[in-house]
Amino acid sequence: MSKDYLVPFADAARQTLKLLLDIDTLEAANQTESTEADNHDQVGVVIGLTGDLSGEIQYRFPSETSLEIVKLMSGMEFTEIDEFVTSALGEIANIISGNAVTDLSTHNVICDILPPRINEVSGGTGIDETTYIFSTKLDSEIGVVDIKLQLKMN
Amino acid sequence: MIWREKYNVGVPEIDTQHEELFARVTVFVETLRSDKEWSGKVSQVNETLSFMKDYVVTHFQDEEAYQAKIGYPEAAAHKKVHTDMVAYVGTVSEQYEKTGYEEVLIQQFAGKLLAWLINHVAADDQKIANYARKKEAEQNE
Repeated sequence: MSKDYLVPFADAARQTLKLLLDIDTLEAANQTESTEADNHDQVGVVIGLTGDLSGEIQYRFPSETSLEIVKLMSGMEFTEIDEFVTSALGEIANIISGNAVTDLSTHNVICDILPPRINEVSGGTGIDETTYIFSTKLDSEIGVVDIKLQLKMN
Repeated sequence: MIWREKYNVGVPEIDTQHEELFARVTVFVETLRSDKEWSGKVSQVNETLSFMKDYVVTHFQDEEAYQAKIGYPEAAAHKKVHTDMVAYVGTVSEQYEKTGYEEVLIQQFAGKLLAWLINHVAADDQKIANYARKKEAEQNE
C-alpha cells in the first residue's frame, strides 16, 4: 500500500479550494498530528471509500477556517458552526473526494465514495494491522485543512 | 454569492441564467440567515425555494439543449449530475413539507446548494465552454 494514494486527494483538495474560494494552498510545514484539544474545535467530515480501495477519507477543518470558507463562498459573515456550515463543508469534502476518485480511475483504480458523515472523526472501519493511514495538512491564508486517508487491505 | 467573470461559459443565455441563479441563491441564503425568528421568515424562504425549484429545472433543460446543439460528448454524464440534483431538491422539499417546515433541513440544504452551485458552474459547466471553444477553433481552421 503506497502513500501515493493520498496524492489525488491532496491535489483535488488544492484545486477545489482554489476553484471555490480563490485561495492557494501549500503542504503545511508543520505536519504534526492534531491533538485531542484541536479535534474539539473543528469540523470533521468522513467520506467512505469502496471498490479497489476500501476505507475512508477524513477532512478536518478548524472552526475559524470553516467560517471563513462559507464567508468566501457566500459573501456573508458567519459567526457559529451550524447545520448550514457543516453541510457546506460536507459538500466540499464530497466534491474533493469525487474529483480524487475520478483521477484514480485514470490509473485503473476504481472506487466509489459514500455520502459525507459530519463530525465523526473516526469512522466505523476499525483500525488494525491491515489498516494503512496516510495524512497531510494543507496550509492557506484561512488556516490548515487536515486530510487523512485510512485504507484497509482488500 | 460572488459572481466572477471566470464563471462565464460564453453563451449569453446560459450566462444570464447562471447570474440569475447566483442572485436568487444569494437572496435565499440572506433570507435564511437573517436574524429574524424562523416563524417570521418561513413564508419568504418557502417562496424563494419554490421559485428556485422551477428555475433550476428550466435552466438545466436549456443547458442540456445547448449541449445537444453543439454535440457535447459528456452530455449524458452532465445530465446525470442535473438529474441527481433535481432528485435531491425533490427529496428535501418533500421532507421539509412533511416535517411542517423544519428549519434545520433547509439550513442543511442551503449549505450544500451553495458549494454545489459554485462548483457546478465553475468546474462542470466550464468543460462545456472549453469544448465549444475547441470546436469553434477547429471549424475556423
